[in-house]
Amino acid sequence: MKKRKAVRRRLIPSGEATIGPFFPPRYVDAGANDLSQLEDRKADGEVIEIAGTVRQEDGTPLDNLVVEIWQADANGIYRHVADPRHREADTKFFGWGRAATDKEGRYAFRTIRPGAPEGRARHVNVMLMFSGLMRILKTTMFFPGEQANEADPVYRAVPKARRKLLVAREEALGRYRFDLKLRGAHETPFFDD
Amino acid sequence: MAYVIVPRHERTQPLRIVPGYPQTPWRNPKQPLIRRPPTLSELTGPSEVAKRVKLLGGDIAGHGEAQAIGQLMHLKLRVVDEDGTPVGGTVVEIWQANGAGRYIHPNDDEHAPVDRNFYGAARLLTDERGLLELRTVKPGAYPVPTKDGWWRPPHIHFSIFGKVWLSRLVTQMYFPGEPLNGQDRILNAVPDTAARARLVARLVPPTGDPANALVFEHQIVLRGRKATPSQP
Ligand SMILES: [Fe+3]
Repeated sequence: MKKRKAVRRRLIPSGEATIGPFFPPRYVDAGANDLSQLEDRKADGEVIEIAGTVRQEDGTPLDNLVVEIWQADANGIYRHVADPRHREADTKFFGWGRAATDKEGRYAFRTIRPGAPEGRARHVNVMLMFSGLMRILKTTMFFPGEQANEADPVYRAVPKARRKLLVAREEALGRYRFDLKLRGAHETPFFDD
Repeated sequence: MAYVIVPRHERTQPLRIVPGYPQTPWRNPKQPLIRRPPTLSELTGPSEVAKRVKLLGGDIAGHGEAQAIGQLMHLKLRVVDEDGTPVGGTVVEIWQANGAGRYIHPNDDEHAPVDRNFYGAARLLTDERGLLELRTVKPGAYPVPTKDGWWRPPHIHFSIFGKVWLSRLVTQMYFPGEPLNGQDRILNAVPDTAARARLVARLVPPTGDPANALVFEHQIVLRGRKATPSQP
């Protein structure tokens, strides 16, 4: 007798589109780029700053580009049910933030240094949305001087010569610079999942 | 419950560099995009975004005597995942032009009149059935400042979070029967005909409450489905 497989209908994901030039400025809420506290309670861990500039191929800085980040807490735990350790997640840390670039193309986040999640080096997930980007651009920021980077599966997925473009520079203690170039010389590696 | 995300069919997604859309060749990667193994990092994501952002009401067409100008409409939006399971409790950010094709934004200062009674933006949570309702006016078409007369057809913008980082979606919804749909460079950047058709809302019979509003239904499918328990 033939085995019957349950047929599950699979819907096709909707097509992406650009965010366009008119994303409401009020959607970049005051404080949305500060992950170091949640509802006035300070998150556990070391407060750090991540800042940088976003440029297009000819080097022009991009104004009003939306940057979002997602990261684990100081112990490397994600505030999400899929993380087996989520019950131990820091209740004072949300893990997500949003910023928009200014006229010089600069964005900045205040957050805490993420711990290394299971099987990964410590890192921050980054996505970019902008006029002229028909799809969200996704990348990952790594921290300098981390031995674990070399074993990280996402870091290793990137061709060797381009890996250093995913590593932030520590400009001062706890102050990281992560510049993004959308195209051309020193182009940031982006992922297609 | 673990969520699985697999690559999408390329033809159901827009080209990155779009003919006649002059910003796209400057801003999209030249190097090949990199496939990476999905880890917990990409298969988790912010799940209660409303804790970090302010919600905004779903009635943006004005109140009482102060009604926005244009064709009053109701949008019934449904958000599901690839299993067809409703995505409830997720934040949906909505923005659109007014009935004359003008946005509330400092970048839009060109051509069409402002409507003081039109709010232009709503940030809402889907209910447990994945539904939300928006009372608005049908957005007007507007010209894109290119040299060759490209007009955007009426459309509504959405930004949706979904269950995990890789289900995050930014998309646009179009209206049925619009003559400008056939020439729009953004809608037509999606190569697959059926995938384009799914970006167009459906006009449904008015519910009568209020009787003077057109009613549109639209479904958005986010990436991701539940992991199938492995078979013996
Ligand atoms: Fe638009």
